[in-house]
Amino acid sequence: MALKLSFSPHKMPSFPDARIRSHRVFMASTIHSPSMEVGKVKKPFTPPRETHVQVTHSLAPEKREIFNSLNNWAEENILVLLKDVEKSWQPSDFLPEPASERFDEQVMELRKRCKEIPDDYFVVLVGDMITEEALPTYQTMLNTLDGVRDETGASLTPWAIWTRAWTAEENRHGDLLNKYLYLSGRVDMKQIEKTIQYLIGSGMDPRTENNPYLGFIYTSFQERATFISHGNTARLAKEHGDLKLAQICGIIAADEKRHETAYTKIVEKLFEIDPDGTVLALADMMRKKISMPAHLMYDGQDDNLFENFSSVAQRLGVYTAKDYADILEFLVGRWDVEKLTGLSGEGRKAQDYICGLPPRIRRLEERAQSKVKQASSAPFSWIFGREIKL
Amino acid sequence: MASIATSSVFFPVSSSLKQNQVSNLKMVSLSFTGKNFRSLRLQPSRFRVACAAKPETVEKVCEIVRKQLALPADSAVTGESKFASLGADSLDTVEIVMGLEEEFGISVEEESAQTITTVQEAADMIENLKAKKA
Repeated sequence: MALKLSFSPHKMPSFPDARIRSHRVFMASTIHSPSMEVGKVKKPFTPPRETHVQVTHSLAPEKREIFNSLNNWAEENILVLLKDVEKSWQPSDFLPEPASERFDEQVMELRKRCKEIPDDYFVVLVGDMITEEALPTYQTMLNTLDGVRDETGASLTPWAIWTRAWTAEENRHGDLLNKYLYLSGRVDMKQIEKTIQYLIGSGMDPRTENNPYLGFIYTSFQERATFISHGNTARLAKEHGDLKLAQICGIIAADEKRHETAYTKIVEKLFEIDPDGTVLALADMMRKKISMPAHLMYDGQDDNLFENFSSVAQRLGVYTAKDYADILEFLVGRWDVEKLTGLSGEGRKAQDYICGLPPRIRRLEERAQSKVKQASSAPFSWIFGREIKL
Repeated sequence: MASIATSSVFFPVSSSLKQNQVSNLKMVSLSFTGKNFRSLRLQPSRFRVACAAKPETVEKVCEIVRKQLALPADSAVTGESKFASLGADSLDTVEIVMGLEEEFGISVEEESAQTITTVQEAADMIENLKAKKA
């Protein structure tokens, strides 16, 4: 079956992904680099496209049953992690109040705080906001998964209920950041809006192959990554003296943490029911590398936009290759991968691969850091073409 | 000179190729056809290096590759071997380069590391870097 084949270490990759682009790879993901290596055959001024072969329906049909049988479990263990809308924060809670007489004053205060925040921070915050605003892609991705998709748009399976409610919670993130950035006056909203339009148009294939095992492993990783990332932007905002912005990033991070809990719980259950299938799935996703959701971002000008953005995020410590290794290590611990028993031969190989991976990634990152890097910078259209050190 | 270099690498290995014919049939046929093909068709990009790598260097690279990919000592690894064909993923390739850096006391730039796909390319790059150091 496709899943097993794609995991085979002796398979000849369809792309020369033997090449790797230093530490940035683990954030930017080599998924993006094949398009670079094939000599960037795309026409100028077109957004990047996924270049890997897009595989579909790799989950064995009989395994879809597993998710049906987990309906009750999901209702009792996953849906409970959703927050009641009446108790949920809304963007308005963190923004100047338009209906208030104090609105102008509040906006002025906001802009004053933002003046103290450097350009490179804004580049990273904008990149994060654009990622959040591409939410339609992520809801779509969840609905590509066999066995758990929302068949009608209003399906009442717990999986579908989760997906819609999750989407609704996430929707507030992009809204809040968008409004804050709009009011800040520090960024070129039109360029940002263009980037968002391009990104939603590009979509993404996280290589989850309609397979919920792969899908939930992917989302587990991503939610933790966004939790870490927003946590760091919160910390940095505080350092730059903008406590309101710190609060904003913090509240978003709290949501991501709750979502991480949900997705890791699902995968934990899968490890319990089907340890062999799940460990193979985890190894498969890690071999393919977890590609970042916004890796196809494009602003109409910069062909290396995502790479440049990732470099700045790495430099500022918002999201780094070390974080990638840390997340993997965390998940290996969270799911007790080391202690799995009763695995097949392939499963044991997968287990070994996964458990051995975090130190390898760290070593790679150390090497990349030790290389003398040429100081380079790039302009970002999001900040009116000003240059940022990469 | 290029063709001499390839044949000098080829011959000592060919006997071991025959030994492994049964177990490594796929790998054997790959590298075998690859070699023949290459010696018939000049590939200037591959052999543009002024001095082709010494056989010892190539052998050392093969050793490091075998170790990285946990291949048996008698497995068919030659100058022509492509890392990817031997089962290396992108992580393996970088680790191979790191192993070469340690072994030969060189430092490989990111850009160069990305262009290496075969044992021969790695060996040539090593000779280049060593020559520059000298």
